[in-house]
Amino acid sequence: MTSNKSDIIIAIFLLCFSGIMINDASNIRDLGFEGMKADAWPRVVLWLLVVMSSVMLGKSYIQLKTEGHKDNNTFQVNFSKFKNAFICFGMFLFFLSTLDYLGMLLGGIAFVFGLLTFLGGFSLNLIIKHLTISVLSIGFMWMVFTFGLRVMLPEGEILRVW
Amino acid sequence: MFDIILQAGASVLLDPLTLGLMALGTLAGLLAGAIPGFTIAMGVILTLPFTFGMSPIQGLATMMGVFVGGLSGGLMSGMLTGIPGTPSSVATTFDGFPMVRSGKPGLALGLGLWSSFFGGMISAIILVALAPQLAFLGLEFGPWDYFALIVFALTITVSLSGDNMVKGLIAGLLGLFAACVGEDEINGVARFAFGSDHIRQGFAFLPVLIGLFAFSQLLSDVEDNVKAKSPLMAKTADPVRVEHRKAIALVIKNWINLCRSSFIGIFTGILPAAGGSISNILAYDQAKKASKNRSEFGKGAVDGIIAPEAANNATAGGALIMMMALGIPGDIVTAVMLGALMIHNIIPGPSFIQDEPLLAYGVFIAFFAAHFFMVGLQAFSLKLFLLVTRIPMYVLASVILAYCAIGVFALHNITFDIWVMFAFGVIGYFMRKLGFPLAPMILGVVLGKLAELNLARAIGTSDDYFLFITRPWSLFFILMALVSVLFPFYQNASKDTLFSKLFVPISMIVLSFPLFLMQSPVRMIIAAILLLAGSYFVYKRMSTLQAT
Repeated sequence: MTSNKSDIIIAIFLLCFSGIMINDASNIRDLGFEGMKADAWPRVVLWLLVVMSSVMLGKSYIQLKTEGHKDNNTFQVNFSKFKNAFICFGMFLFFLSTLDYLGMLLGGIAFVFGLLTFLGGFSLNLIIKHLTISVLSIGFMWMVFTFGLRVMLPEGEILRVW
Repeated sequence: MFDIILQAGASVLLDPLTLGLMALGTLAGLLAGAIPGFTIAMGVILTLPFTFGMSPIQGLATMMGVFVGGLSGGLMSGMLTGIPGTPSSVATTFDGFPMVRSGKPGLALGLGLWSSFFGGMISAIILVALAPQLAFLGLEFGPWDYFALIVFALTITVSLSGDNMVKGLIAGLLGLFAACVGEDEINGVARFAFGSDHIRQGFAFLPVLIGLFAFSQLLSDVEDNVKAKSPLMAKTADPVRVEHRKAIALVIKNWINLCRSSFIGIFTGILPAAGGSISNILAYDQAKKASKNRSEFGKGAVDGIIAPEAANNATAGGALIMMMALGIPGDIVTAVMLGALMIHNIIPGPSFIQDEPLLAYGVFIAFFAAHFFMVGLQAFSLKLFLLVTRIPMYVLASVILAYCAIGVFALHNITFDIWVMFAFGVIGYFMRKLGFPLAPMILGVVLGKLAELNLARAIGTSDDYFLFITRPWSLFFILMALVSVLFPFYQNASKDTLFSKLFVPISMIVLSFPLFLMQSPVRMIIAAILLLAGSYFVYKRMSTLQAT
């Protein structure tokens, strides 16, 4: 269950987001043809988003006022709860940023090994186990896609030079 | 017609590669359905990248195998450990688990297996019979009607998606907005590209879907450190021998329950967004109400296993009816299948069955055949399931995250798609955490372009906006959308209120008007029945109110 305070913050964020996008919608070119303009549908969607976000804001604010005394201390983000998710984000971001250099094979192995080790633990036994899993799983998938499905996965500069 | 069915049958049943792929898909589905934390939708999504290199029929047959296998896979973990593998097998555990604990695991599994099989067969027959008829009906639709149908599909998704309707609507609108990004379909003008050539091409459907659904789900699965490091299931189960003969005899003996539950499943599947997770509980509830031995329910009743398992497999047929006939996905799984068809440049819609009869009937036949594979592979998948459950979640999640990246790249061979998946994965994860349902957003992404295209066509054809409410089908769908918006209020209203008492009969009366306008004898008879029944209930309930 989310708290009213977090809902208020999300509603304000959505209102800002809609505002920026509505503003950007004015940059959509009008080709001057008859019929529905290119910006019409996005505007409808965005204005509906504004309305619904306002409803969410109002509803959460009223609930906060009425249940405020119960809700006062609930908005404390427990970052440790999201630790593993943030590790995944970080590792994936690293994998994506280095994809051009490492390629899908090496990058994939590094990503799976890194993620397994961060999530699973750092003992020697586990590291060997994680290395085996990452090499076998990514190696297998790489072979299936490269030779079985004929997909040219990113080779990476390292392998290209080598 | 018969020669088309024969050709389609040959393309599926006489091609060893298609059969092999379908068997593999069914096995993967059985496993995905059996593992708690994995859903059928996730199984189908993860299968999709493998289908790029296949022919459309091979790809769809494989996904059909995953779909059918997934629906039946949930019963294994539900019965043997008491933890349902998928939401569509929740009600199966109510009686399946007690029956296993009472020393009849073979019979419990057999009942689940054969109820799934027969439920699926009934829905397959209805699918073959109804989908072409519904598609024929769909040919009457103009852009006004199609737009209204999409609005209805989105509103019902929102109204069935959970307690918080506002968040559901916001999710749906965000999905519609995501579909707006990039060049518009009508004029080819760039929208919200912010100078990026990649964004100008728009977001491909698959990376968005994998990100929103699979990526965010995997992150949620590894959130808890202790759970992530433990084996998938704390409780272990022993391999069991399924009692096929006894189970078949019992399922056939309880044929009324089987048929009722199957029809509940089919109807629920036809409704957009109402999938197996709803139908299995509805069917269980109805079976309990209709049973003479209600006290047996919850203690291992045979009917309590037949009802949910027949219903959840029948739901697949119902969902496929909508997708095949009108191009409107009934749930996330059919949305993925719709995406798979689009990847092969096939646009499902009312003319799909006529334009691509071989493919359409091939899908029907694959749906039939997948049920036979499901029965045949259950024993083997049970052994595999017991092996897989020893793996900790963090290992599976890490490997699957990498697989998602490879699969998404394979779509267009561009790294940008992986970035899109990542971005939507992050969005999906936080949306889950903040209580936003993801189904409306996914359907918004799938249906957004179709909605805009039909709205543009409607406005381009005539500047008379009243056509949206004067055309019978359009009016019918708009009224259905209104009813679906009000439905959650009806569910939450106290039974004594006027609104709660009159909601259903007034809805019946209101929905009869567009049917009268259609001026077809059958529809007018249905309209008359709706009007008379609605009026009768209004009169009866008003009389009761006045008396009290």
